[in-house]
Amino acid sequence: MNSPLERKAEQIDWAGKNYLVVDDFIGVRQLLRESLRSLGARNIDQAASGGEAIALLAKTRYDVVLCDFNLGDGKNGQQVLEEARVRHFLLPSSVWMMVSAEKSVESVMGAAEHQPDAYLVKPITEGVLLTRLNRAWHRKQVFRPIDQAYAEKDYLRAARLCDEQFAASRVHETELLRMKARLMERSGEPEKARDAYERVLAGREYQWARSGLAKIRMVNGELEQARQMFLGVIAENRYYIDAYDQLAQVYQNMGKYEEACTILERATKLSPNSVPRQRNLGKVCLKLGNVAMAEKAFRKCIAIGEYSVRKTPDAYLGLARVCGLKNDPKEALVLLAAAQREFGAEHPDMPLRAKITEGLVYHESGDYRHARKAGDELEVQLNARPERPDVPTCLEMATLLFAVGVKDAPVELLCYVARNNHDNAVLLDEVQAIFDKARMGEEGAALIRASKKEASDLMNQGVLLWKTGKLGEAVAWMRSARVKLPNNQRILFNAAQVLISHMREQGYDELMAAEAHEVLAHVDHLQPGQQRFAQLMEQLAALAPKVEEAPAEEPPESQT
Amino acid sequence: MDDTQHSQQLALFLASTAHDMKNSISVLSGTLERLLDGAAPHTDSADPQFAQMAQMLYQTRRLNDNLMQLLALYKQVGQPEYPFDVQPIPAIELAEQVAALGRVLLQSRGIAFAVEVDPELIWHFDEDLIVGVVSHAVNNAVNYTRDRIRLVLRQQDEVLEIRVEDNGAGYPQALLDAGAEAMSGVASGIDFRTNSAGLGLYFAREVARMHRHRGRHGAVRLENGGQLGGGCFILTLP
Repeated sequence: MNSPLERKAEQIDWAGKNYLVVDDFIGVRQLLRESLRSLGARNIDQAASGGEAIALLAKTRYDVVLCDFNLGDGKNGQQVLEEARVRHFLLPSSVWMMVSAEKSVESVMGAAEHQPDAYLVKPITEGVLLTRLNRAWHRKQVFRPIDQAYAEKDYLRAARLCDEQFAASRVHETELLRMKARLMERSGEPEKARDAYERVLAGREYQWARSGLAKIRMVNGELEQARQMFLGVIAENRYYIDAYDQLAQVYQNMGKYEEACTILERATKLSPNSVPRQRNLGKVCLKLGNVAMAEKAFRKCIAIGEYSVRKTPDAYLGLARVCGLKNDPKEALVLLAAAQREFGAEHPDMPLRAKITEGLVYHESGDYRHARKAGDELEVQLNARPERPDVPTCLEMATLLFAVGVKDAPVELLCYVARNNHDNAVLLDEVQAIFDKARMGEEGAALIRASKKEASDLMNQGVLLWKTGKLGEAVAWMRSARVKLPNNQRILFNAAQVLISHMREQGYDELMAAEAHEVLAHVDHLQPGQQRFAQLMEQLAALAPKVEEAPAEEPPESQT
Repeated sequence: MDDTQHSQQLALFLASTAHDMKNSISVLSGTLERLLDGAAPHTDSADPQFAQMAQMLYQTRRLNDNLMQLLALYKQVGQPEYPFDVQPIPAIELAEQVAALGRVLLQSRGIAFAVEVDPELIWHFDEDLIVGVVSHAVNNAVNYTRDRIRLVLRQQDEVLEIRVEDNGAGYPQALLDAGAEAMSGVASGIDFRTNSAGLGLYFAREVARMHRHRGRHGAVRLENGGQLGGGCFILTLP
């Protein structure tokens, strides 16, 4: 052929790589194997089901996986991919090609957490396969350092790497901008995220960029504008499912649960096999008292979760609530037992959450005697272990305990929440409201004041030690403050800042660096996307022996 | 409720049957390509058995293209829109895939295939749909050409122009008319009874129209002439 097509200078050696072909149809497996052989491939394994694929993936690190989305009974291709990623069966350089008989909704729906490197539509021929493999490979080369920084949560470094790539990789420019916008969102820099989205939209209308702008509006509290923009995206492309999920969130933030429910219902019709989406639908329905639809959503959620690593106990707990509302506490207890069996190992909060749900079920079905009994048992559980679950669970638990007549345990829980969130006015109002409802308004206000003071005293003493140059003492002080207030974000940020200052003054220390990493990872888990997190992560990374210059130092934030 | 459940089940059944058929056809055409490819060095392409096999591949390709197009259109009819997926794609990679898809068929028919493309050109389109449309146009040209086909991808003002030209006798007038009618937009559809290329053209038009940018949309037209003096299929994308 006399064509410019042979221009490719940097040929990739596809012959020496390890391949896995997953398809439930033997004819297709053989065909794909032949296609790969014609590229020179020698090491080709085959799997006829998701289960077989996982077993092979656990043993061998494949360079390329060609996996059909539709694998008959059991896991589907997406679930195999998710499990392989979560269980670290893939190399950072592995290319995952998802194959389907027709263009799938999933391929365009946007922000799915575990995207394959490419989607292929059958029939697959050698030429198409080679072009797509080459493209995915080159893309990996561009994105690998960025993905690496992203995995290390050094978002600002990752963003700088994106900037450096723009000129060199014109074909990836759009995707680099998308990545940069995401990084800026995670770094608490919505303005810069907006710039990146606007730059994309200046070239061409992309729904994900429009959707990104809408999301920034939503986070900013401009709910009506966000709503209009998401509706616009959906009108443009009704398969852009991410916009539905976001729009439902806007409605929830507006307090419009009916609308949120309607939009989630439409989304689940278009793309029914998402565990988180079905779970959200169930929760919203429960809030609306739509028991029938909540039940359907939770049951579907459990069914699709069966083969998914992303399953969570929420659907079981939700379905137990549904049973309570249907006056069937027996069935609810069966579900709660199942949830504990299934999730007890990975979720240390499981007994607590199951007991809360049990109490709610009895309370809602009017069995106050059993509800009180569950409350007492909950109190015993709380006294037995010092760790507390996340804030929403704490609030839910306190509300329930007050309702069934327990007093000390909920007061302790609410004080715990107040101490750990002493600067979060909205949350403190919520805590006050729970006290008010329990007819403890004044007592509650005094307790909240005391909790706030305790937290700011701890903070200020740490800042004082830091300012007077007693870095060793400051580190020790913040360590003990963390023990007292393990989930206070201001304390955690300052603890990390003090550790960084200490290393800057007195040299890098591996243990201290690990401690700072751990502290920051914990804050990011409590509330992702904070500016101070991104800045401290960058400073921390810069301290590590090998790396370049350090950004300007900032003092720890003090309490005013 | 029963009705929707029934139609959902039917849709599911049809989808899985279609899935099955596509698997079979891809195995069929893949095997044929391999056989032809393996036979090529030793066999005279004038060998009647080789020619028959080449013809079989051509027919299988047509069957495959038609099935794909029908399914895509059926999906559109069934649930208003196709999951449309625009990405920035180097034009050269589009050409590469079309060339690879046609390679064995073109060789087995002894047709010379030339590609002209600016290696720096990047355009935004739904890759699977456009590869499908252009490669179908090449398959069609196999039927009309004498011995040459030329694929051109270039930017003309603000659009990407993709041309598939051949050195055959040109499209018959009825087909040129059908092409013009298909693009005029007033015609509600194509008369499927009178022309066999109808589905392909109709599909190409639908695909072209889905590509919109700044108030403009893509288009398809048929002409006679071009650099090779035969039929020209021209797809433009904004």
